[in-house]
Amino acid sequence: MSNPVKGTVTSLSSLYSPEDAQKASIRVQETITEHQKNIQQLQTFLNENNTLINLVKKLPDKLNHDIMVPFGKAAFFPGKLIHTNEFMVLLGEGYYADRTSKQTVEILKRRGKDLESQIENLNGIIKDLKFEASFFDETATEAAEGIVEIREDYVEETPNEDKATTAGEDDFARILSRMEELEKEELENEELESEVAEEGEDLDTADLSHLMSRTSFETEVKSSEVEAKNEHSTSQISLRNDTQQDPKDSPAFPVSKDSYVKVPTLSGSEAPPRLVEHNKSKNSLPPTPVSKNEVSTLASSSSNDRSNASAIAPVSKEVSNHGSSSTNDSSKAFTGSIVERTHNIENNQKGQTPAPASKPVSRFKMQRR
Amino acid sequence: MASSSSSSAARDLQKDLEAKANDLSKIQKDISKNHQVRKKYTIQLGENELVLKELDLLNEDANVYKLIGPVLVKQDLAEANANVKKRIEYISAELKRLDSTVQDLEEKQNSKKEAIFKLQQRIQSLQAGKAKA
Repeated sequence: MSNPVKGTVTSLSSLYSPEDAQKASIRVQETITEHQKNIQQLQTFLNENNTLINLVKKLPDKLNHDIMVPFGKAAFFPGKLIHTNEFMVLLGEGYYADRTSKQTVEILKRRGKDLESQIENLNGIIKDLKFEASFFDETATEAAEGIVEIREDYVEETPNEDKATTAGEDDFARILSRMEELEKEELENEELESEVAEEGEDLDTADLSHLMSRTSFETEVKSSEVEAKNEHSTSQISLRNDTQQDPKDSPAFPVSKDSYVKVPTLSGSEAPPRLVEHNKSKNSLPPTPVSKNEVSTLASSSSNDRSNASAIAPVSKEVSNHGSSSTNDSSKAFTGSIVERTHNIENNQKGQTPAPASKPVSRFKMQRR
Repeated sequence: MASSSSSSAARDLQKDLEAKANDLSKIQKDISKNHQVRKKYTIQLGENELVLKELDLLNEDANVYKLIGPVLVKQDLAEANANVKKRIEYISAELKRLDSTVQDLEEKQNSKKEAIFKLQQRIQSLQAGKAKA
């Protein structure tokens, strides 16, 4: 070690001599025994109190009791106990009160409770003291065994490391908060987007295939709505099966490569109501032209979000991918939710960090190709 | 000459030390006495509080007696209540007073201990000087 000596080695016995530790432990032990004596005394009080309660309860059973009355220290004479329901109870501090048997018993019970709580307190104290004593004993034995205490100054590394760790923690906290923000934004965007998409998709995907699918599958949509509700509760495996089957039976398969199924990342549970709404809007409302730009910006921002909020988002997204696509069912997905958005995403993927969340999307695309 | 003066100085210091040690032991005695009194008062306070609780639970028309010497004197419930309350107040005040005195005494004790420690050091250094000479 070329470094200057960093630490010091001191034998524990030089810090705490074994005799001192022993003495301390003995002292603690003494206080423990004292407390135990106190507890015993309180326990006897408690027992006496209980017997007294029993006696007081029994006394008014008879109108009078034959007793031997103490007379002086050694002598007794026969007598009778009358007024068996009248007690003069010492409340403490020289105060007495006339009470009936029942009232006396109540007083005595209160006193018993007080004693119990005192005993409990003492038991707690003894527990602590015992722990202390064991600690002292340990140090005493350790000192006797010649255990050494090694102290090293932590000065050199502390500043850097501290900074690093705090910075890391700060970063982490910041990232987390940022992620939360982004997720919120994302949710909002998605909501907006899906609304916009529902209206906008009619514009965007107004190609022939879409029209075809719409016309041919509108009936199926309704039936699959019911299915979808049931499917919410089913496991993800079944959902995945659905998704895999989707492309096969969908006539919308030949839709241009660039378009992909817009997957609402909102939880699947919100899908059915939206679907209904969605159909309605399609049936009743004429396709309202919504600017494509708006859609695309929304989409891009959401995908940005996705790339930033990578840690949490992908999982939920994947789940919701399957869920939503299944709830939509192939037909639904293609009747309604086709959005032309790929160019945005591809831009994002090129320009920015490869979004991990885009994985499910790309996989989906691959399936469809 | 020098040695005799130094020895006399040492003797003075020794005397001083003894006097201070005596003072310290006196203070410690006072403290322990104070602690005992405090303990007694705390017990009394607990008892008084118990009495007050019981008096509060009594009916208005209950007969309350106070043992004065060998006789039980009948007392009004309200009167007894007021008495007990006054007693509790008194005991609390007394406890506070005792606390402050104990604090004072402990401060005195610490200063005395320090003084004694310094004296011991001086005596030691003196003895060491003597041993050298």
